[in-house]
Amino acid sequence: MTRRLPLLLLFGTVLAMAADATRAALPERHWAFFQSYCVDCHNADKQKGKMRLDDVPFAVGDIPTAERWQKILNVLNAGEMPPEEEKQPAAAEKTALLEDLSQMMVVARKQLSDQHGVITLRRLNRREYQNTMHDLLGAKVDVKDLPKDGGGGTFDTVGKSLFFSSDQFEQYLALARKALDGAIATGPKPEPKKVHIEPEIEANKRITGIFRGYQMGGYRMYKQWKASKGRPPSDFGLVDEREMDFRKLVWDRDTPPYADYLSRTETETGAFLTVHMPNPQVGIVIPDEMPPGDYRIRARVGVAPKTPAARHYIEIGMRGERTDGAISLIACEKVTGTLAQPQTLEWTLTLPKPSKPTKADIGSQTKQVNYLGDRVIALRERQVNSRDAAVYRHMRSLEETGFGLEPALWVDWVEWEGPIVKQWPSAAHAEIFFKGAGATQDDAYAREIVARFAARAFRGKEVKGSYLDKLMGHHAEGRAAGRSFEDALKEPLAVILASPSFLYLIEPAAEKAAPRELTGLELANRLSYFLWSAPPDATLLALARSGELRRPAVLTGQVDRMLADARAWEFVTSFAQQWLHLERLDFFQFNHRLYPGFDDSVKSAARAEVFHTLATVLRDDLGLGVLLKSDFVVINDLLADYYGIAGVTGRQFRKVNVPAGSPRGGFLGMAAILAMGSDGERSSPVERGAWVMRKLLHSPPPPAPANVPQLSRLAGKLLPARELQSAHMEQPQCAQCHRKIDPIGYGLENFNAVGLWRTEEVAEVAKNNRVIRSKAFPIDPKGRLPDGVEFADYFGLRDEVGRREEALARGFIEGLVEYGLGRPFGFSDEELAHEILTQARAHGMTPRAIIHALVASKPFRSK
Amino acid sequence: MNTLPRTRRAFLRSTSAMVALPMFESFGWTRFASAATAATAVARPRRMVFLGFGWGVTRETWYPDIKRTGADYVLPLGLKPLDRHKADITVIQNLSNKFNNEAHWGSTFYLTGANRYAEPGQSFHNSISADQVAAETFGKGTRFTSIQLGCEQAEDSGHGPGLSLAWNRQGKPLAGMNNPVVAYHRMFSDESTPLAERKAQLRQKRSVLDTVLDDARSVGRGLSKNDNDKLSEYLESIRDIETRLSKEEQWLGVPKARSANPPAEPTGEIAGYEEVRIMYQLMVAALQADSTRVITYRQPVESLLKSIGVTFTGHNMSHYASGPRMEASQLRDQKQSALLAELIDRLKATKEPDGTSLFDHTCLSYGSNIQSIHYLDNCPTVITGGGAGVKHGRHLAMPDPKTPLCNLWLTLLQGAGVPATAHGDSTGVIKELVG
Repeated sequence: MTRRLPLLLLFGTVLAMAADATRAALPERHWAFFQSYCVDCHNADKQKGKMRLDDVPFAVGDIPTAERWQKILNVLNAGEMPPEEEKQPAAAEKTALLEDLSQMMVVARKQLSDQHGVITLRRLNRREYQNTMHDLLGAKVDVKDLPKDGGGGTFDTVGKSLFFSSDQFEQYLALARKALDGAIATGPKPEPKKVHIEPEIEANKRITGIFRGYQMGGYRMYKQWKASKGRPPSDFGLVDEREMDFRKLVWDRDTPPYADYLSRTETETGAFLTVHMPNPQVGIVIPDEMPPGDYRIRARVGVAPKTPAARHYIEIGMRGERTDGAISLIACEKVTGTLAQPQTLEWTLTLPKPSKPTKADIGSQTKQVNYLGDRVIALRERQVNSRDAAVYRHMRSLEETGFGLEPALWVDWVEWEGPIVKQWPSAAHAEIFFKGAGATQDDAYAREIVARFAARAFRGKEVKGSYLDKLMGHHAEGRAAGRSFEDALKEPLAVILASPSFLYLIEPAAEKAAPRELTGLELANRLSYFLWSAPPDATLLALARSGELRRPAVLTGQVDRMLADARAWEFVTSFAQQWLHLERLDFFQFNHRLYPGFDDSVKSAARAEVFHTLATVLRDDLGLGVLLKSDFVVINDLLADYYGIAGVTGRQFRKVNVPAGSPRGGFLGMAAILAMGSDGERSSPVERGAWVMRKLLHSPPPPAPANVPQLSRLAGKLLPARELQSAHMEQPQCAQCHRKIDPIGYGLENFNAVGLWRTEEVAEVAKNNRVIRSKAFPIDPKGRLPDGVEFADYFGLRDEVGRREEALARGFIEGLVEYGLGRPFGFSDEELAHEILTQARAHGMTPRAIIHALVASKPFRSK
Repeated sequence: MNTLPRTRRAFLRSTSAMVALPMFESFGWTRFASAATAATAVARPRRMVFLGFGWGVTRETWYPDIKRTGADYVLPLGLKPLDRHKADITVIQNLSNKFNNEAHWGSTFYLTGANRYAEPGQSFHNSISADQVAAETFGKGTRFTSIQLGCEQAEDSGHGPGLSLAWNRQGKPLAGMNNPVVAYHRMFSDESTPLAERKAQLRQKRSVLDTVLDDARSVGRGLSKNDNDKLSEYLESIRDIETRLSKEEQWLGVPKARSANPPAEPTGEIAGYEEVRIMYQLMVAALQADSTRVITYRQPVESLLKSIGVTFTGHNMSHYASGPRMEASQLRDQKQSALLAELIDRLKATKEPDGTSLFDHTCLSYGSNIQSIHYLDNCPTVITGGGAGVKHGRHLAMPDPKTPLCNLWLTLLQGAGVPATAHGDSTGVIKELVG
């Protein structure tokens, strides 16, 4: 559309009405703005800055026009135009223009990048690759070194955004070789071992040693030196006065925790886990020579009397290479045993082959031995995953008790057992060498093995002559080099796992009319990677081959079967994580001084609550509206304690009814969602409001523009968040969006930065963990939704949002289309979305109905 | 590419961005070894280094006073540690990438100047980065055509999408080495395997490529044009490996070059400040040994902050307001400048065979696409080294506040002897730099 403005004016009324969400056009009423403030300098005769504004089309249909408008938007946002010395627009006028202009650009960008239904060849993303390798070889490959997928704000299934970089081929090859080394095992069955450890033996020796030697010895030297009145410190065995003073400090500050620990009789038969010194962790080292595989770890533990229930959780994790005490968390478990009657807890861990030898790192002064490596497991009381936080808590409690925090957990013994080998050779090995151990190992058999494996790896695709010949060439080379029949097969199999037919979901182009219907196999693959992020299983493949799968009733039945399968968890977690932008939860470190209870275990349980809630809605076939407001939550014991909900035992997540009047129930009351809307220190009404608009109301605000002048008037002042945001209203560049965003966030201000309920907000200035100034403000939760509906508080907000189930469903559908089809949702998908929505509405707006409608739709079944 | 050439060699010949390919099987390795030696006998080569630091700087205390340009200017707090090199650096203001509107993407378009939305039907597009343009000229005679260094947690460090600072001719991201230990071994560890075995390994690697190409060919035949474009990334990857293998073959038997003071193998827990320092040392060693002449480094921010005692995340630090967050940002500016000053020390101290220093032949740039907070104009830019004929010791403020950053890249490329006539959205060269 290249009509000029004067002409457009004729259609004024028509265009003003047409300012809907699907047209990249600016309402014509804004022409007055340009006329008043811009065209005097930017017209046909005079083109300051080589910019002409009298002929810019009010509708964006191509990239050059989009670029012109982007430039206009940028200079307006940056406050560069109109120039200072010229007539300035009124704030309201500028706000109105910026709002429409930003919106138009969002629509235009979406329209111009619309792929018109074309699905680009998809590479397996990291998750899919890992699952597919697991399916073939029975082991979880480590994918952290593969390049990260996605970026550019799309789902990690979108083919266009899945690049293949130059190192990647070799990485796939290396990962495949490693995985095959593990899967193809020709040696004898590994002998499992069981080792029992009494942790007090090591702990008492170490703690007594430090107490008697370093601490008491140091103090003795200090006393002798002081008594000598003037003799040099070196006469008493220490270098200088500073060291003498330090030993005195150690005596005063660090000895009490050691003395207290040793004075407890329970340390004669077990070890306490202290928050900081002297015994923060009980370690288990599984020797490097033990083969990789599954290992069982058991610990007999009890809680100390009169310690708070919140501290009765034990964490298990891997120490790795870190010397700062942090662990890679594996699990967190509530301890209900007592000192008199401890309980035995058990975990199963999968241990890798050590990447380098385990080493002992011995503290230079304390002589404390820390083991570092891939095989070092630690048990500790649940806490924030940083030594700084532990030191802070310890120091604070020193002031109160003189020795630190009362120990809450006691470990009687630990043991490890493994590797647990269920089948030998492994199932993967038996699948590859399908004729069994007695088969004749000739070339014909090798060829069959390679062909079978390739067909499986290529998800049903037949492997043809020259490629197969070349694969066999690799086997022959291996044999010629003296390798065994089995070993020589690893290379051709590894090459298969680095070939395009394995790494990409291949869907050949239509021969004549596009789009064409998918073949049964293609449909099975698309379905399987959609709901499992893994290859199709035997059932699905059989139905694909027989053609049955393309029958609607069979397809529907398969979707239900697949959703009921454990593998559907992959869909729930990956989709929810990306749809709701849960990665933001990892953007910030939460201030451990302000929020000691929001540690990694709680954070991961909070994230899991989102997943388990969606899984429950899916399983029970409930409407999406339940995600907005419900009378139940899906939580475990840890999260129940965090929320203050009684009567939940066990770490598994389950449906728990909440009393009327509870703020929990629905996304807006979930700790994960609320914590994402903070910066780790304070709640952010902006982040929360924008998230609600984006994810729940299906009305995303434009992205935050670059180059907007920073608001600094209120920076550093002790004010409630609500008042700080008010500065947004002072500038049109900010007001255009924030007048919609912020008032939603105000309704969530009753939740602090980590999602706990509060009635007042404390603003503070702190330095080095010391509060310098602070002030409390009552919460004012009044607010307004972008459509003008007002609410009095959080409950009013939740009710209002809860009424907008269709908006949520729209967002859910768009996300699902993108995730399931592997391409961005475009304007050309409007009809598809409408169709799915209509069908879902007839079925109670359940996510299951939406999935069924998408799978049954033409785009899902076509290439 | 819709159809693939039938043989691997034909496939290789089909690309224009290739090095001259020897006939693999018929040439003896001695010939390549002498060719490699000959390359080092000519005049001292030019090198280019591009450092990108993601999240922007503290605008209040990093930029020199815009009114005091020329030689007589004062380095402010954030650049103060560079004082001892003041005569050998240039600070330039008013450069930016006009197309970038992504306030958290400090590196994605930094060296490319591309318009994310330039391609219809795509929501992301990029083009070749300046370093890769340089590598096309400077990479022919070295073991590594170019080296990309990077960091973990790049997304949290304000770099934006991408795998390193480098993007190839097709606008696809090039992977980087994100860990000093990996980089060390790739650049300096010698293979202990005997020559005959390594030759066999090369042959074996080639035959693997030959096999996967067979599959690629049969797959490609049935695909739509759009899908073939995607598959071409895979082929590009194979082609890169082929190029590398043929280089490896040329260099077979030539031990990996060592600088006079070879760096020690990095060990222990290296993160943040120490990590950057070691990467800088490795860079100098690689340049001195002439293993490569083009290096980019996408520097860590997140781990740097942790290592200098800042408890805020990079994102929190960069979106500072006056108070502790701004102090953190200022501290980071200073620490980064101190590291850069040390790198310059090292380049100056490293002597070339002809008595000049490595510094004299290296063109180094240091900056980001993000100025500060959410500002993308006036990208922070420091240039140093004699590799592109820049007249140093000055503070320049471009008269046009929106001068394309690509004008700088073009100026440096041309200055270093790369026959480039335009780059990204460049409108010309910055004459003031060389005049």
